[in-house]
Amino acid sequence: MRRILAIARKEFLHIIRDKRLLGVILVMPLIQLFLYAYALSFDVKQLPTATLDLDRTTASRQYIDALQQSNYFLVDGVLTSYAQVDKRFESGADKVVVVVGAGFGNDIAAGRAGNVQILVDGSDANAAQLGSSYAGALSRVYGAKVVISQIEQKGLNISGAGGLTSSMRTWYNPEGISAAYFVPGLIVVLVTMITVLQTANTLVKEKEQGTYEQLIVSPISRIELMVGKIAPWALIGALDIIIIAVVGILAFGIPFRGSVGLFALSSLLYVICTLGLGLIVSARATSVDSANQLGSLIAFLPTFMLSGFVFPISSMPPVLQWLSYLFPARYFMVICRTVFLKGGSAAVLFPQIAALVVFAVVIVVLAASLYRERA
Amino acid sequence: MSWRRIRTLIWKEFVQISRDRAMLPILFVMPILQLVLFGYVVGSDVRNLNLAVLDQDNTVQSVRIVDGFTSSGYFTVSARPSSDAQLKDALDGGQAVVAITIPKGLGDAVRSKRAAQIGVIIDGSDSRTSGVAAGYAAGIIANLSNQFYGTGGAAMTAGGVNAQVRVLYNPTMRAVNTMVPALLAFILLMSTSNVMSQAIVKEREKGTLEQLFVTPIGRADYLLGKLLPYTLIAVAQLTLTFLVGVLWFQVPFRGSLLVTGGGLMLFMLAALGIGMIVSLMSRTRQQAQQTSMFLQMPQMMLSGFMFPIDALPKWLYLLTFLIPLRYILVIVRANFLKGSSFMELWPQFAMMAAFSIAIFLFGLSRFSKRLAD
Repeated sequence: MRRILAIARKEFLHIIRDKRLLGVILVMPLIQLFLYAYALSFDVKQLPTATLDLDRTTASRQYIDALQQSNYFLVDGVLTSYAQVDKRFESGADKVVVVVGAGFGNDIAAGRAGNVQILVDGSDANAAQLGSSYAGALSRVYGAKVVISQIEQKGLNISGAGGLTSSMRTWYNPEGISAAYFVPGLIVVLVTMITVLQTANTLVKEKEQGTYEQLIVSPISRIELMVGKIAPWALIGALDIIIIAVVGILAFGIPFRGSVGLFALSSLLYVICTLGLGLIVSARATSVDSANQLGSLIAFLPTFMLSGFVFPISSMPPVLQWLSYLFPARYFMVICRTVFLKGGSAAVLFPQIAALVVFAVVIVVLAASLYRERA
Repeated sequence: MSWRRIRTLIWKEFVQISRDRAMLPILFVMPILQLVLFGYVVGSDVRNLNLAVLDQDNTVQSVRIVDGFTSSGYFTVSARPSSDAQLKDALDGGQAVVAITIPKGLGDAVRSKRAAQIGVIIDGSDSRTSGVAAGYAAGIIANLSNQFYGTGGAAMTAGGVNAQVRVLYNPTMRAVNTMVPALLAFILLMSTSNVMSQAIVKEREKGTLEQLFVTPIGRADYLLGKLLPYTLIAVAQLTLTFLVGVLWFQVPFRGSLLVTGGGLMLFMLAALGIGMIVSLMSRTRQQAQQTSMFLQMPQMMLSGFMFPIDALPKWLYLLTFLIPLRYILVIVRANFLKGSSFMELWPQFAMMAAFSIAIFLFGLSRFSKRLAD
């Protein structure tokens, strides 16, 4: 134990004296937190829109106003002929063109459906998807309003007409605050990046600097060395989790609805996994360079891409879905989201926690055996 | 400046690259890996969302509703809870991201043409799905309503506005078609700036820079000898990415190679400049890598590469104008899918040229100053 503490203390001194490293560990997570919290959103608002009003009546102007007031469309161009439409799209000036057909006002006044055409630039798939569904829905709502007011003017009662409707509710984050989506997931991403990348370096670095022989001739056993080396990083990992969680809760108003104990336990399990992964990389890598390459590959790609952080796993090709089961990030991602936003109990999260336990055991055993054999 | 010396330096660089085991993966494995992952993960359309169904009605109509959801391809039933508590657990544990509840008596209401309502609950903790899923669900329910009641039955859909929505250039709204053109620019930026900075820092780390300068090689020779090989490599990477995108991912190319290629070449100046700036800020290769990663993050987030920039807060939106990647993305996407020509894209070209040349010259001047010291 005394020897482990000595190694841990030495490692700590290394970290504290490296100003740049300290910046990477403590400042970078915060900058990323703010950047992600503001920028990471697929939401589309104020889509640049041009209008081509072939009708020029009060009714057509009211319809265009209704679209603009929704805040989803920003009318920044008024066209006078169809020939201009292509140019607006090709220069990227507009993503949506709303064409109100001639006779729109007359049709509506006569109780028929007025014709409009909504052209959407598909070259931005996400904007096109949201833009086309917003435009369609807004037109339906506007049309329904017109019909209801017409029927009411005639003094008829419309409550008898049937139809299938839905009451749509969004749970956990009803206001759609993008920080609430991403802060819990960001904990997973940042902690993985820091712990895997830094522990991946530890062993190779000592070897490259030639200090490794000195350690080996001392009475420290391999396992003591391993524990001593990762202990400071476990603490730093925990510190990062706490910083992000606290800033997320205080600065962005993210709720924390679950149990702190459950979160702490699963964080611990997850950090053991990532530290173990880092050690495995460190034991296999031949140089600091390749340790960095391999480490960033393991730290970044699976956690960012295959954990469900931003991109839903269920929409991926099956091969990538299977691959995602092989990285512990996927399970910790569910746990983080749940404890922050949903507040689920241990029973609900049992499969994820069990998976983390299995991963932690397998990774630690593997890392220890590799360490003993290689070191 | 002597062409013979530059040629020797280029040769030296290529020999060095081919013998460096850490460099080869960055050059050839990373671009392919990025292309495949971004193409399949980021470029995947939101489909097969996990759906929990709480059917308290169990009639022909309720089964048709569930069919309506699953046959669209957007939803797959992943849980069939039998109570509200179980439904909550399914959403809490992430087994489902959308839940529908069909109340008892819905079938009767539909048969007697009375109004009926089903509940839709969306997991708001998942950004990508919650927006899109709500849209899908609304469309499916409107469709079912027409089937159950006939178009005339619901007064709402009869008169009013008949909106015909048409999506141009990418009618199926395939996300890969948006992602692959952008990846050309993104991979160019990542790889060129990364490799460039690593190569310079490595030379400094190993102390071979001094050795070079006691030879008759001038600063200009050295710079050209460094820049040219990485330009060639970048062109090779671009060709590879382009071919994989068009042939494997089947992205239509409707533009001209001149516009896309010319734009990317101009953008490469920015990438090389960033590489030089990173190399000035770092003493070791590890630091260079960390600095590159640090600089890549905001470029990825604030350029419109993955996330739309229109909805950003004002101060962040203003920041996006400073990122050259923003302009090249508009150029490659528009040229690829819409066939936009230089005539339509000149504002983007002008902005990008200004930034790229400024970054490149800044990097170059600081770099030659550093060499002169």
